Amino acid sequence: MTGLSSPSDLSAQLSSSTDHPTRTLVEAELVSSVAWLIHLRWFAGAGVILATWIAENVFGLDAAEKPLYVIGAGILVYNLIFHLIERRLTQNDAPSQSYERLAKWQVILDWIAMILLIQFSGGIESPVILFFIFHIIIASFFFSRSLAIAFALTAIGLVAGIAFLEYFNIIQHRPIGGLLETPFYQNAKYVAAYLFFFAFTAVVSAYLGSTINDRLRKREIEIVNLSEDLHRATIRLQALNNNARAVSSTLDLKQVLNRLVSTTALAMQVRACTIRLLDSTGRNLEPVAVYGLSETYLKKGPIDALTNLLAREVLSGKVVNIPDALESPLLQYPEEAKQEGIRSMISAPLTGKDGAFGILRAYAVEVNRFSQEDKEFFEAIAAQGSIAVENALSYKAIEELDQTKSQFIRTITHELRSPVAVTQSLLRTLVSGFAGQVTDQQMDILKRAAHRVEFLQKLIDDLLDLATGKANVEALKQREPVGLKSTLQKVVERFNVSAHEKSIRLEQIYPESPEEFIVMASPDGIDRIFNNLVANAIKYTPSGGEVSTRIESVDSEAIITISDTGIGIPQESMPHLFEEFYRAPNAKEMEREGTGLGLTIVKDLINRYSGRIAVQSEENRGTKFIVSFALYKGTREVSK
Amino acid sequence: MNQKKILLVDDDPDQRLTLRLPLESAGYEIFEAKSSKEGLEMVEKIRPDLIVLDVMMDTATAGFQLALELHSPDPNSAYKEFSKVPIIMLTAIHSTTPLRFKPDEDYLPVQTFIEKPVDPDVLLTKVRDFIGE
Repeated sequence: MTGLSSPSDLSAQLSSSTDHPTRTLVEAELVSSVAWLIHLRWFAGAGVILATWIAENVFGLDAAEKPLYVIGAGILVYNLIFHLIERRLTQNDAPSQSYERLAKWQVILDWIAMILLIQFSGGIESPVILFFIFHIIIASFFFSRSLAIAFALTAIGLVAGIAFLEYFNIIQHRPIGGLLETPFYQNAKYVAAYLFFFAFTAVVSAYLGSTINDRLRKREIEIVNLSEDLHRATIRLQALNNNARAVSSTLDLKQVLNRLVSTTALAMQVRACTIRLLDSTGRNLEPVAVYGLSETYLKKGPIDALTNLLAREVLSGKVVNIPDALESPLLQYPEEAKQEGIRSMISAPLTGKDGAFGILRAYAVEVNRFSQEDKEFFEAIAAQGSIAVENALSYKAIEELDQTKSQFIRTITHELRSPVAVTQSLLRTLVSGFAGQVTDQQMDILKRAAHRVEFLQKLIDDLLDLATGKANVEALKQREPVGLKSTLQKVVERFNVSAHEKSIRLEQIYPESPEEFIVMASPDGIDRIFNNLVANAIKYTPSGGEVSTRIESVDSEAIITISDTGIGIPQESMPHLFEEFYRAPNAKEMEREGTGLGLTIVKDLINRYSGRIAVQSEENRGTKFIVSFALYKGTREVSK
Repeated sequence: MNQKKILLVDDDPDQRLTLRLPLESAGYEIFEAKSSKEGLEMVEKIRPDLIVLDVMMDTATAGFQLALELHSPDPNSAYKEFSKVPIIMLTAIHSTTPLRFKPDEDYLPVQTFIEKPVDPDVLLTKVRDFIGE
């Protein structure tokens, strides 16, 4: 059996495994026991006084009442002092060592009172001797086994001392008069036997008490450790979960990185955290997200992935713990770390499908801050973070690629425009007869050619529109209040002639109120949306049909409906409707020409203005496009 | 000697015109069909000496299917008697699909390809190679 039962050992052991400032269970028990003993002692002191009085006045015994009253009062007085000290300790939230000191003083004073009490109530003949057993058991609960046995031996020595001194009349025997008919303090054999059994009882009590206490303490330590492990595990799981949610809730690279460093620092309960990513050369590790470090420290110098020992180690896939920044041979900038107040750090690789692409690092101010458990936890955070960072990196790459592609389309369509435009002009010159008379057949061919080039022009314009929208993200953000009603009216008016030619009735349904239905968008964009939808409706509606436009407001949204009695959209074409260059078979059949970009542009523009579009259609019956936008409630001037 | 008959199968009227004019001026009799279906009907009706066929019509491979049907090696084929009618296939498919096609007796029974845009001289040379003046 090891001497684990000292509360100071226990508290030291427990507090080394945890860093929260609240008391452990064992310490809490010591604190409450001190209070409890003080509480009991009021009764003990009062009990001495009361017992003396009763012995004297009820049973008519003849005790040394004065000293006994003084002892009782003395107990009350020192207990009052203990009480005041205990209250101060509690108020100041004193460390458990102070409580332990207080407990020791209580035992010492109690034993002095005890031995005086025995001496003044008959020495070896005193019935109070049995009380010593209580004290020995109480001491065995508080102190280590050896100390408890030492206390027991002291008690035996004190009692034996009194017996010895009284036996040889060195001190005065003070019996309680009328209690014993024949005193035995002079009976050597009896006293020896008495002392032997007292000693035996005292030592066994101390041994049993401390043994039982020991076992209970050990169990308690186990329970405390387990519950603290559980507590830590719970905190870490929560932290990991928070991390996962924080970093995967966005695809924006900057946000992912910043969230990762801040949540990691919190989860690890450390001062700082950084992410460094390999740059495009694959050599330099650039800090891309920082939490809790100074600018000076960050600018300490470059980190070369090929020569920096720590970086090499981590990028090879290992989690590296540096227990002391000043002692580690791996560190390139130990002096800077010292100035920053950083003493230990832990680094884990951020790994993607093509190997490590960066380093996640946590920094602590304490030496040897990271345990094996911390290491595993940190590795888990890094693994989780890697996925989020890689996703965000991929997303960024795709976005850039999409922009590059759009820019490319923009450039080539732009380049295509001028030759097409010139060809158109040339053909018009021929058709108009400015280059001499052409035969009817030649005229037919020229007109066909002009028509085809015109279509090409339109295709190029549409493509350019689409690519411009995607390439020019800044332009998307420039919005202003636009009146839907006047824009729609203007668009419908534009189609009056072509509808009339096809004998299509154009109907416009607006509420009675002069409401404009204002949304935040660009006027050209809204015009384009309505233009394409109305043009389609007229294009794919046979003669004698009807096209109707309607605006209404529902809740805080403007709902625009453009419906026709046209050829409709086949069920199987519905999923492809907004795809670039897609045209439904019945649409191709009815109208040879069409770029298949009109609805793509519509959808793209509506997305830009955070609107929605829905389609209802039945083949040979008609189609209904329903567009909705959030109504603008502000007061900026409206462009019409 | 009878005028040789050529059937043009193409859904684009402008494209048909650009084929018709040079061929007519070279003395061939020209018939037109706007789809594969119409093409097959016309084959039976007019019994052409040669067919000029567009690949992409209502579907991206409609022309191929028509060619396969006409030149089917199946002895019970409905178009058995036309299996020797030469087919010139018009294609721009090289530029719009990643597929590569070559005349292949087993796979694609057409005699030759002409790339769009069609050069009238190339067209006439190829037609003369197959059916003469």
